[in-house]
Amino acid sequence: MKPLFLISVMTLNLLITPTAVSENIGHSDAHSHQDVSANESDNSHDVHHHQSHSVHPVESESDATEPDGQATLTRTDEIDRALAAGGAPIVADVLGVVCDFCAIAMNKIFGDQPEVAAVYVDLDTKALSLVLSPSSSLSDAAIADLAVQAGYRIAAIRRDEAALGVAL
Amino acid sequence: MSRLVGTVALLLLSLNSNISTARPVSYTGGVTLIEESDRQSTSLLVHFTPAHQWSIGLRGEHNRDQDYALYTLHPTWLAKRWFGANHQGNLYLHGGVGVATGVNGNPLGEDIAAHGGVMADWETRSLFASYRSRYLDAGHFGAQFVHAARAGFAPYIGKTGDLHTWLMLEIDHRPSERISMTATPLIRFFKGPVLLELGYTFSVNQPLINFTYRL
Repeated sequence: MKPLFLISVMTLNLLITPTAVSENIGHSDAHSHQDVSANESDNSHDVHHHQSHSVHPVESESDATEPDGQATLTRTDEIDRALAAGGAPIVADVLGVVCDFCAIAMNKIFGDQPEVAAVYVDLDTKALSLVLSPSSSLSDAAIADLAVQAGYRIAAIRRDEAALGVAL
Repeated sequence: MSRLVGTVALLLLSLNSNISTARPVSYTGGVTLIEESDRQSTSLLVHFTPAHQWSIGLRGEHNRDQDYALYTLHPTWLAKRWFGANHQGNLYLHGGVGVATGVNGNPLGEDIAAHGGVMADWETRSLFASYRSRYLDAGHFGAQFVHAARAGFAPYIGKTGDLHTWLMLEIDHRPSERISMTATPLIRFFKGPVLLELGYTFSVNQPLINFTYRL
C-alpha cells in the first residue's frame, strides 16, 4: 500500500502546476472597465481594458443586475450609508464564489482595508460590491491582488456610474 | 506537560477519515477550527493560513477502535484552484508529522507518526463532489489507508448569509478494516462562518459529526 500511495502522490505532483496567482492586471483608469477572461483555467489572465460605459436605466435593487446581466452594486444599509457619505462605488465580478466561506473571505480581506467603507459579496450575482471611503482610491490591480489573498479571482471591475447601473 | 496536553486534546475529541473536508486552506490571515468524527476516529484541527495557497495547523486525533491518539503538525497546500463564473474546483495535498500515543490503557506507549494524502473537490451552488485520501503510518500502532468520495446537492439555493442545506452521500473505503466499505448519508448545514454535518453510517452503527468554524 505504501508504494501505491507514494506513486499516486508523485504522479499528482507531476500533473499539477502551481496555483496561478500571477498578477497580470495593470493599473487602469479609475473610470475604465476591466475585463479579465473568465477562462475555465486559472492560468489564463487575458486582461482587456476599454473605456466604454454601460448605458442602462437604474437597476432594480432587488436583483442588482443590469438588463444585460452585468451585476451592479448590491444595496445594503452599510453600502447606502457609505454612498451617502460620498464614497465611490465599485463592483467586481468574482470567479469561484460559490458559498458563504467565499463571501466571508472577501469580506474579511476587503473589510480590513482602510480605503473600504462598505463591502458585500452577493452569491446570486457573484459580485463584490465596494464603497470606498470619501477621497480614497483603490486601483484595479490592488482589488485583484486583494481578491487573490482571499483565494479568488476578479473577472471584471466597474466603477461609479457603471457600478450603479446609471445611464450616463 | 505532554500528559496534560494529551488529556486536554482527548477531552476536546471526546465529542465523539478524519481528513478535513471543508476548505482546508482559508483566506490570508484566516483561522479555521475543524472537528470531524466518523466511524473510527474523532479529530480536531486548528489551522492558520499565512498565504492563500497553504495552511499550517495543529491536529489531534483519537482512533477509538485502536485506542491511540495522534498529535501532528498538519500543513495543507492548495496545489490548484479552478475558477469559473459558477463553479470552483480545488486540489489539495496535505501531510502531517508528530506522535502517536496509546490511550485508555493501551500499553503500546508512544511512537512517531506521519500521514499524507490528497483532496479534491468541485462545487457549484447546487452540486458538490469530492474525493480525499490519507495514508497514515502510526509506527507500532500500525498503518492505515483511507479514501472517500462524496456527492451531494442543495435542494434550494440560498442567498448570502442564509442557511444553506446540502444532502450528501459519502462512500468510505478502508482496506484494512473488517467492513472495508461503508456508505454514509449526511446533511450539511452551512450558515455564515459555521458548517455542521450530521450523518450516520448504518453498516457500523456510528454517527458522523463534522463541525467547522471559520474566523
